[in-house]
Amino acid sequence: MWVKLAFKLFSREFRRGELTIIFAAIALAVLTVFSLSAITERIGLNIAQKSSDFIAADRRLSSNHAFDPQLLTKANELGLKTAKVLYFDSMLFANDELVLGSVKAGTNTYPLKGKLTIKDSLTSQAYEVATGPKAGSIWLSEGLFYTLNVKVGDNVELGAGVFNVSKVLVKEPDAPFFSLSGNKRVLLSYEDIPVTKAVQAGSRVFHRLLFSGNEQQLSGYYAWLKPQLKSNQNWEGIKDRQSPLGNNLDRAERFLLLAGLFGIMLAAVAMAVSAKRYCERQYDPVAMMKTLGGSRRVIRNIFLLHLSLVTGFSIIAGLLIGFILQTIGADYLANFMGTELPQAGMRPWLLSGFIGLICALMFSLKPLLDLFDIPPLRVLRRNLGDTIALSRLHLVLSFLTIFVLMWLFSGEIVTTLILFASTLLVIAVLYGISRLLFAAGRSLGLRPGSSWSLAIATLQKRANANAIQLISFALAIKLMLFLVVLKNDIITDWQMQVPPNAPNMFIINISEQEVDPITQFFTDNNIAHEAFYPVFSGRVDAVNGEEFARSVSKQEGEEKDEDAKEGVNREPNLTWLESLPEGNEITEGRWFTDGGTGGDEIEVSVFDGWRETLGLKLGDTITLLVNEQPIEAKVTSFRSVDWGTLKPNFVMILSPNMAGKIPVTYFSAAKLQDKHTKDISHLLQRYPTISMIDIKSQIEQAQSIIAQVSLAIGFVLSIVLISGALVLISQVQASLAERMEEVVILRTLGAKGRLIKLATLYEFMLLGAISGLVAAIVSDVALLVIQQQLFSVEGRMHPYIWLLGPLSGAIFVSAIGYFMVASTMRQNTQGLLRKIA
Amino acid sequence: MSVLSQLNVIQVSGLTKRVSTLEGSLTILSDINFSVKSGESVAIVGASGSGKSTLLSLLAGLDVASQGDVHLDGEALSTLDEEARAQVRAEKIGFVFQSFMLVQSLTALENVMLPAELAGDHDAKAQAIELLEKVGLSHRLEHYPSQLSGGEQQRVAIARAFIGSPKILFADEPSANLDSKNGHLIEKLLFDLNKQNGTTLVLVTHDEQLAKQCQRIIHIEGGQLEKISEGAAVNVG
Repeated sequence: MWVKLAFKLFSREFRRGELTIIFAAIALAVLTVFSLSAITERIGLNIAQKSSDFIAADRRLSSNHAFDPQLLTKANELGLKTAKVLYFDSMLFANDELVLGSVKAGTNTYPLKGKLTIKDSLTSQAYEVATGPKAGSIWLSEGLFYTLNVKVGDNVELGAGVFNVSKVLVKEPDAPFFSLSGNKRVLLSYEDIPVTKAVQAGSRVFHRLLFSGNEQQLSGYYAWLKPQLKSNQNWEGIKDRQSPLGNNLDRAERFLLLAGLFGIMLAAVAMAVSAKRYCERQYDPVAMMKTLGGSRRVIRNIFLLHLSLVTGFSIIAGLLIGFILQTIGADYLANFMGTELPQAGMRPWLLSGFIGLICALMFSLKPLLDLFDIPPLRVLRRNLGDTIALSRLHLVLSFLTIFVLMWLFSGEIVTTLILFASTLLVIAVLYGISRLLFAAGRSLGLRPGSSWSLAIATLQKRANANAIQLISFALAIKLMLFLVVLKNDIITDWQMQVPPNAPNMFIINISEQEVDPITQFFTDNNIAHEAFYPVFSGRVDAVNGEEFARSVSKQEGEEKDEDAKEGVNREPNLTWLESLPEGNEITEGRWFTDGGTGGDEIEVSVFDGWRETLGLKLGDTITLLVNEQPIEAKVTSFRSVDWGTLKPNFVMILSPNMAGKIPVTYFSAAKLQDKHTKDISHLLQRYPTISMIDIKSQIEQAQSIIAQVSLAIGFVLSIVLISGALVLISQVQASLAERMEEVVILRTLGAKGRLIKLATLYEFMLLGAISGLVAAIVSDVALLVIQQQLFSVEGRMHPYIWLLGPLSGAIFVSAIGYFMVASTMRQNTQGLLRKIA
Repeated sequence: MSVLSQLNVIQVSGLTKRVSTLEGSLTILSDINFSVKSGESVAIVGASGSGKSTLLSLLAGLDVASQGDVHLDGEALSTLDEEARAQVRAEKIGFVFQSFMLVQSLTALENVMLPAELAGDHDAKAQAIELLEKVGLSHRLEHYPSQLSGGEQQRVAIARAFIGSPKILFADEPSANLDSKNGHLIEKLLFDLNKQNGTTLVLVTHDEQLAKQCQRIIHIEGGQLEKISEGAAVNVG
């Protein structure tokens, strides 16, 4: 019955372009959510994969004691892949040279994630392999080749065994980023451990079990393991908080999430505006149909079918375009990164489809209900029904929908609340401003007949409509400014962490006597280097005289900062310093009086992460065991530490007045270039006890990841910017359509095209500038909160956006308005008159 | 129901319309009484703001009276809800408006077929084409309203008004938006078709000449029925 009519009307409306904006808005919402969530998911999976590489597994269990074999049996039963790794120090001997090496012995499945990088000889090219050395052979890091004076193919003694050196070990995926064990690393097969006889009862060894599998298997295993975890056992996931890259990647993920949220907000604004506009344009046909006897049911069915069709088509179109966009984007990213991005799962499809559906339903529902209520009398009284357009219910429903959508997409209530609140603030401020401004403008008394006075008059006359426009312009500008600024900040922050002149080599184990000659060496060879830090290892033995080990409770929960706990069990690297190092901030207490050089009392500044684990408060006395010698230090401050820097960080910094009380070695860092290689090997020969840790590869890795993620962020930003631009265009278009009548009347009355165009230009310029200014102010405030709350970076103001906001708003909005009205001006007046008839 | 009232296709009794304004209640129409016989043509005339359009909206069931009632072909509109009144319009009433009120996304032919389609009749195409031929638009069947002149649009509206052979035709200033040549053409068409179909015509106008073409003229002044006079037309009923 009505279906045929409904389809006919639908196809005509579609062809006439009446449905284009609503169609574009839903498709925009869907494609934004799809491409962003797919890209975010693919990058996230890639990041997770890379993070897994950092620990050579998805999860690992570490302990100073051997594990119950049952732990591996159960893991294998659950289908997890496993590997065993044992760490110990042992003497290496070759060519009359004796040196202590850090040995890692892995089963033939090690590493479960990531690759080992090796070289066939000291001078050949490095390449990647999936497994470690076979039984009987060992791999040594480059430093050991020099110290032991061996080459590939020679034999070395390790403990009681003799092994063939088969490769140069360049990189292990799970190598500690900063470790005093230096470059004397040895990798051998787990089977060979007995041969070395280096591991005896009471030996200092470190055991690790590695696991990999899907999340379900891993969480199933953890559920089984958790009740029996011992306090000396540490379960660690891929969220390694002290990884310098971890923080950056976390920020990148948060940025992508924010961008997605903004995309949704923009699409929602477009949707709300277009749905309202579409319904308003249907008032006359509906009134007509009612007059001609169309029943409410038929009319309702017709328009609900329209909504369903337009929603269905636009979701499909959005998914298709989104898929193409994200494929192009991901391919480009993957090419640039030189890796493959894993495929996203079903989530982006379901999420974006669902969001499209919710958008269409929630934003169209109230305007549609209003449409059904249009009285037939409108055919005689033309303005009937015009006032029911903006109801409180619609506003509440729309805001609620946007909030739920954001929450649904992000799964994060805090982020959603901050963004939502700041958006409400924009709306409130703008509404107030628009009312004030448009009311005050009346008394300006501009010369009649000028473009400016026409522009101001129009602004005043349409105060309500302008308020809405102002709000949506400002929202779009705010979201765009926000992302642009955040992107710049994040990337600048990252680049600051790895400046071009950052040291790429750590020099450790420098004795006090070697400090001067090495400094001289650096000066002679024109090598930039950092200061020499005193470094020593110490174990926390007691707090306020109470022996510490027994007072630490076992931490629950997989996601807790397990590194901190591990730190308590190990001997951390400690130092003394006169001043607070860069990237550290006092969170409680004060830095050492007079730089801690005077007095007898030794003070200590403790990393925040350790404060809770050790149950410390200001004024506590810690007993540190350094070379079995107890050192008492009073806690005078707690510090936050930025683990994101590629600099050595210390969990405890003592006051310099302890100098001379214990033997220490020194640490420095230098920026070396290829031309220095020969000089360095001379240096290593002259001072064989010092070690060099090459962090060039880590820096390069960090720089390349920063570059990749910056690119991803740029890509996502451009999608959101396109969405924002489309919202602005659709807004200007909607508003122009509304003022078509005025334009035609002015034109008919003989107004010059130039006057109308200029009036429109000025009007939109004012609207754009006001929106941009408010957007800039609110963005800056919201940025302060967001940066501190979500990105753990220092919030700062951005004066340049206070200019950029209004300027870009004025230019962009007025340009669109001008070109659109200009194209209207090219049509003849009779044609225009007929259009509005 | 008496035979007389059956002949009266429109029976208006004590019709009053009040609206509430900021200054209080405002009476737009007060105690209007008249009847229209089947096939009769009646003009409602009056100055702007006299209440003639309000009267038309009450007669057609587009609005509800504050007091009194309208019987349309025996049905008391005051007892019907919006849906039932729409049903009455669908079955018995045709409309011609000053501003044509065509659906812009439908062609001339489809606009004419619209009332029939809304009533569930999908075989109205032949009748629609015939009506468009009668109004001289057989060559414009597939044109959209925006492609037609004002006169042509009103002719489409007239064809639409006669589809489904309504008993009553309401016309609100049908020629007011047209030049005199097109206006006369439209008026002629309206009366011709009215005669051919034996439809009752109720015409709202401020044009005395047009009103005189009807059989009776109802004069409305300040919301009250001032007088009912005879028009120039011959009674065909």
